[in-house]
Amino acid sequence: MAKSSEESSSRRTFMMVIIGLISSIIGVALTIPVLGVVLSPLFRKRDIVWTKLGKFSDLEIKPLAPKFIPVYFKVKEGWSVNTLPRQVIVVKTIGGKFLFFSNQCTHLGCPIHWVPARQKFLCPCHGGMFNALGEVVGGPPPRPLYKWVHKIENDAVYIQNKFIDNPKDRGI
Amino acid sequence: MFKEIQNWFDERIELTKTIEEFNGERIPRRGGWAYTFGSLLAFLFTVQVVTGIFLLFYYVPYFPIARNATYFIKYHVVFGNVLLGIHLWGAFTMIFFILIHMARVYFSGAYKKPRELQWIAGMVLFSIVVILGLTGYMLVGNENSWWTINVLTNVASHTPFIGGFIRIIARGGTETSVLTMQHIFAVHVWLLPGIVMLFIPIHLFLIRKTGHQGMALEYKNSKLSDDDPNKWRHPDATVPFFPDQFYKDMIVALGVFAIVYILAVVIGAPIGPMYRPLALNFAPEGDWYFLANEELLKYFPGHGLIIFPTFLIPSIGFGLLFVLPFIDRTHERSPFKRPAATVLGILFLLVLVYLTLMGGEPKAPATV
Repeated sequence: MAKSSEESSSRRTFMMVIIGLISSIIGVALTIPVLGVVLSPLFRKRDIVWTKLGKFSDLEIKPLAPKFIPVYFKVKEGWSVNTLPRQVIVVKTIGGKFLFFSNQCTHLGCPIHWVPARQKFLCPCHGGMFNALGEVVGGPPPRPLYKWVHKIENDAVYIQNKFIDNPKDRGI
Repeated sequence: MFKEIQNWFDERIELTKTIEEFNGERIPRRGGWAYTFGSLLAFLFTVQVVTGIFLLFYYVPYFPIARNATYFIKYHVVFGNVLLGIHLWGAFTMIFFILIHMARVYFSGAYKKPRELQWIAGMVLFSIVVILGLTGYMLVGNENSWWTINVLTNVASHTPFIGGFIRIIARGGTETSVLTMQHIFAVHVWLLPGIVMLFIPIHLFLIRKTGHQGMALEYKNSKLSDDDPNKWRHPDATVPFFPDQFYKDMIVALGVFAIVYILAVVIGAPIGPMYRPLALNFAPEGDWYFLANEELLKYFPGHGLIIFPTFLIPSIGFGLLFVLPFIDRTHERSPFKRPAATVLGILFLLVLVYLTLMGGEPKAPATV
């Protein structure tokens, strides 16, 4: 018969090491799959798609008068294909150039809206303000408005669910 | 007959003795009403669990169907509005009384040696209950929920180094999607209540281990100095937990429950508008306990400063609270004998109230 822990101190140490080992093995064996499940989203690529916004020739807007146009991205998310409705703010500059902004505030992502009387975009959450060219003119936003990746082909405007100059993939 | 049943249990597991041991715990006498907040919180948590379980009979964690499910519970399930209302107002009440409980413990110096661990266990419970509140808010599935998810995950994304990862993990993907709701649901319904159920017994066990040490007024007759640990073990007068303290606990529990119930029936839980991701005239608003932080978010303009309200101030604030017993290591307990701590505490509360009131100001209207 094996000695009890009270009869031999080395036996006691041995038992404690085995108990510790077993706990560690079970713990690690359980933690690995749990961690995998929790961290899984990190290993998935964002589904980037091109979506048609509309005809370029329809964009007859006055300079510096923003126009909100909804765009519906169909993207894979987890186990489903979902429609992400998003706003594209089209602004024509004085020089006739077109800018395609997102309506997400660059501060923390609330939906901005255009206030014609003040000629500014206002964020309702924390008071961010942008001018028609997307530059910050007040409040806490850390950077100018996000611009959608876009292209114009055969008189059609296409938008990608991705922002230009946005290395950390904020927003969207 | 009853006696026989009791004997049957006593012969085997000494039931009567166990119950008497549990109930006979001596509680300091003078501050009885001030010591009811802890058990009130345990009671409110139980109410949250019970109402939450039965809300699950109808709830679906799926954007935007979640809001339809909540609507169904409120308007089509018999007494569903009451159950939902109790869950909402119970949550608000719980957060409010945690703050009261913490303030009571802070001002009476009850976190001091040997009770540091109790304070830390309590802080864990407090942090988790706040997250439970926020995640619950997101699960309603209305327009506010949608923007709260976006704003809060964006706030988290400003954590140094790992912020982007935190946001993706919290959302269950790169976008706010079906998986986001599922994640929040699992966290709100399983993970966090599980941790609370683990820490409430720890919190209680620690109280029993260190003994029930009361406020300074329990020790008026003691001739020992404040530095003597023995002083705090021997209040001038004690009463048994059952029925003396328990009686007070029950009265407070009933009073608070009555308020929660009336609020649930009269005001109920606002469901809010359906989520419209394209809405241009919507001003999202946080729950009252988040307004202070919400207000802070407005004060730091520009790229370099955004880390202050999103990460540094909340985490340093919570961090300081967590290690409070190790910062303030003096032995005086009376709030009058440690004016610095008392004044700081009052100032902190005033700032909190001010920020909350400012954060609750009406937002910029849709059209100005």
